[in-house]
Amino acid sequence: MKKTLVAGALSLLIPAIGLAAEYNLTVDRVKIDTGEFVKEGVGYNGKSPGPVLRFKEGEEVSINVTNNLDEMTSIHWHGLILPFEQDGVPGISFPGIKPGETFTYKFPITQSGTYWFHSHSGFQEPEGAFGSIIIEPEGREPFRYDREYVVQLTDKHPHSSERVMRNLKVTPDYYNRKQQTVGEFFSDASENGFLSTVKERLAWGGMRMMQADVEDLQGFTGMINGKSPKQNWTGIFEPGERIRLRFINSSAMTYFDIRIPGLEMTVVQADGNNVQPVNVDEFRIGVAETYDVIVRPKDEQAYTIFAESKGRSGYARATLATEEGMEAAVPELREPARLTMADMGGMSGMDHGDMPGMDHGDMAENDEMAGMDHSNMANMDHGSMAMPEAGPSDPFYAEGSGLVPTAANGGKFLSYADLKAQKPLYEQREPAREIELRLTGNMERYTWSINGVKYEDADPIRLKYGERVRFKFVNETMMTHPMHLHGMWSILDVGAGQWNPVKHTVSVQPGTTVYMETEVDASGQWAFHCHLTYHMAAGMFRKVIVEGGPESTQAASSEQSSNAGGDV
Amino acid sequence: MISPRLIVAATAMSISFTAFGGGTHGGGHGHGANAGEPGKAGDANRTVSIKMYDNYYEPETIAVNPGETVRFVVQNKGQLVHEFNIGTPDVHEAHQKEMMMMVEHGAIQGGKLNHDMMEMDMGDGQSMKHDDPNSVLLEPGESAEIIWTFSKQGNIEFACNVPGHYQAGMYGDVNFN
Amino acid sequence: MKLWKPWVASAIVTIGAIPALASGQDFMADTTQRKQPLKVWGAQFEELEYRYSDNDEEIGVWDADFFYGTDKFKARWLTSGEYSFEERAYEKLENQLVGQIPISTFFDAKAGVRFDTPEGPDRTYAVLGVTGLAPQWFEIDANVYVSKDGDTSADLDAEYELLLTNHWILAASLDATVAFSEDREIGVGKGLVSTETGLRLSYDLIDRAFSPYVGVVHERKHGDTADIARAGAGSTEDWFAVIGARLSF
Repeated sequence: MKKTLVAGALSLLIPAIGLAAEYNLTVDRVKIDTGEFVKEGVGYNGKSPGPVLRFKEGEEVSINVTNNLDEMTSIHWHGLILPFEQDGVPGISFPGIKPGETFTYKFPITQSGTYWFHSHSGFQEPEGAFGSIIIEPEGREPFRYDREYVVQLTDKHPHSSERVMRNLKVTPDYYNRKQQTVGEFFSDASENGFLSTVKERLAWGGMRMMQADVEDLQGFTGMINGKSPKQNWTGIFEPGERIRLRFINSSAMTYFDIRIPGLEMTVVQADGNNVQPVNVDEFRIGVAETYDVIVRPKDEQAYTIFAESKGRSGYARATLATEEGMEAAVPELREPARLTMADMGGMSGMDHGDMPGMDHGDMAENDEMAGMDHSNMANMDHGSMAMPEAGPSDPFYAEGSGLVPTAANGGKFLSYADLKAQKPLYEQREPAREIELRLTGNMERYTWSINGVKYEDADPIRLKYGERVRFKFVNETMMTHPMHLHGMWSILDVGAGQWNPVKHTVSVQPGTTVYMETEVDASGQWAFHCHLTYHMAAGMFRKVIVEGGPESTQAASSEQSSNAGGDV
Repeated sequence: MISPRLIVAATAMSISFTAFGGGTHGGGHGHGANAGEPGKAGDANRTVSIKMYDNYYEPETIAVNPGETVRFVVQNKGQLVHEFNIGTPDVHEAHQKEMMMMVEHGAIQGGKLNHDMMEMDMGDGQSMKHDDPNSVLLEPGESAEIIWTFSKQGNIEFACNVPGHYQAGMYGDVNFN
Repeated sequence: MKLWKPWVASAIVTIGAIPALASGQDFMADTTQRKQPLKVWGAQFEELEYRYSDNDEEIGVWDADFFYGTDKFKARWLTSGEYSFEERAYEKLENQLVGQIPISTFFDAKAGVRFDTPEGPDRTYAVLGVTGLAPQWFEIDANVYVSKDGDTSADLDAEYELLLTNHWILAASLDATVAFSEDREIGVGKGLVSTETGLRLSYDLIDRAFSPYVGVVHERKHGDTADIARAGAGSTEDWFAVIGARLSF
């Protein structure tokens, strides 16, 4: 009797003494001032970007979200592992938050790292409805730093998102001002010969594809932590300090190539999960991805954080300085990339088996160097000892792709192939099955789909709780798609076996096939989509239903919990 | 003794993996501090246990008396290859470039050392052996001993120069009493 | 016996369905906008211009297009006309209401009606056409028309845009009309009726929403149609200097 009493008292106490934290967010109409234009937008707690939410691994959070808009809203906790009713996708996780209503999200924090949150309703996210999440680990971080800053990027466009969507549907190249011109024809002709340039133009014209189709949405102002290049967000440091920069790409459409001239960056985390540290000079951050880097500026000077858009049509800029107001040089934008025929490798009618660069077996071999023949090493050039430098190549781009990024200083540019988990999250095991997802679309109609079917016509993808599935992404379009699976981790196959990095968003480059595996360990239904706002809205979206699992009996509780939150 | 070693070290700096043996060559770099020199077991008055995790040390600072000889017992408790290397920050930085090559050539593969690769003759009698007396390179689960005589005051760190590890914070400070 | 089989089948189906239901089939259905086809509208004036001819004729010309719909079906109102400032009359006034569906990667089919209500006799046609993007970036619009009286005709519009820069665009256009039967009342003879070729240099001043241009247009009547025009003392060939703007809302 006594024992049960004690146990009972303890169990009552545990939630009370266990970590519990309450947060309040209001969803508000805000003004976003880029210094070039002022836009009405959506923000949190009166600002865009919203606040940095600091959670601690192991705590139970409740977040009261009050909708001050005159339309429905929602918050999705991007990258967080939580019960599906708390995932914040209207129509899939819950009905959404009505105007004037307060909804209370409640979930345990079972992970650590850098994440973000955003609205999953309409176009509120590109209108500014996003913020960042920092989760402190229970134990120590496997790296050291003296200071940290969130560096949250976005691509603020002067047009409303509704208008952007409509313009893209009506005129898909509406915003593309990096198209090939007569001038470029002549400069190409003088470089590569007149006939071969004519041939090339005819080949692309025959396909009705544009080599310049690299960035759908141009004309934006790149923003860092709500500041435009002019407004120059500045992070202060003391020389010699290690600074952890938590980069989050909250853009609607824009990939950024990030560098800090004069500083080497050590990538220690990707998508919230620690990776074995990699020293780089530059890295590309896909839409919705996060990368944590550590830098150590030793000199008392300013350093520019330069985030150049992949299509070189715009940039974001911030500064690390020892005091406010210091500035460093802002680099020029480089020449825009042009697609090559290699990037068309995935277009229908082409033989996927031929696709070089992404052959899985090869990658594993390169990586582990398992098959290396030592006898051949005798022929190696010992004088230089550096690996032979070919043209830019990256196993996650088609071989000969025009999109392969290179570092501005000629140094190291991060590749997905460099990402290795710091600590494997799951036991390595064989997937039960493979699911092929062809990423499809039609640029001239601005339709985007998976396996040729838009979300409106699609059946859900059904997974079984407890299985491990292997997703095969085949990109048959000429655009890069950052694919985001909610609720469960995306273990990106870089050929490193148990060290494969664990992500929440996986970029699939044109003309490539990328594999990821997922441990289906979260029941319920989840969203799975391209995180480019206008691709998602145009149909590149799926619902994933996880059948079975410990919570299957409470499947109907979504209604209940949303009601419970409704009248707080 | 000093000057020939110095010349060798300076000329071999960019290509050699074995030139960082004694502390005697340190004078040519940066803060002008010697890390010290290999010690004799009999001179060690105390043992300091260093545990290497992914990617940090425990402890992260040690205090020594100038001229003290310390016996380090280094254990790799992580899942990745780690190094314990005593030197000045500049020496570490130079050494990191060579460790980078070891990774590029497959001598270090995440949690494994490829000893064949390390033994391989790289020409000019060099190899990636990594058998300097001021450092040990350990696979997960391995442990080793270093006996080191700290010569004098200076800016000395113990560090793991596996690419990225030092930058991520896998280093410790040697404080002189 | 015949009755029995479906019973068994439905029983099996039911049994099979129960565990499926229990394992989470009663999740909410997505009824949000995301699950609905994207509805888009557009309003564009491909041409909105003032023309001044080599014999001092002044006319106002428009060629516009309004639509609403989804990827699968669009309703479209196409309107074009020529207004003579001298005669204060519409030399041409054409309105089409069509439904449009995709038929291939780059082409749509459209069907509907066309009403011609210029100065003079009116005409009503049934329209069947294709519109889309041909290889080498030619924008094509081709239609066949059947009038209430059974007169048939066809037209073809082709346009090519040359990017001098990313804002200066030189657009070449060709419109040709062919009649398969004579409609003398409105001055149409059998055979090639007329061609209009244009060259316009535009500048995208406000996005692609407002692009002023200048250009030249050459209009010519051919064959029987030219003969009919000559008989009525009308011109058979005109050169125009044009100034106008392309608008997109």
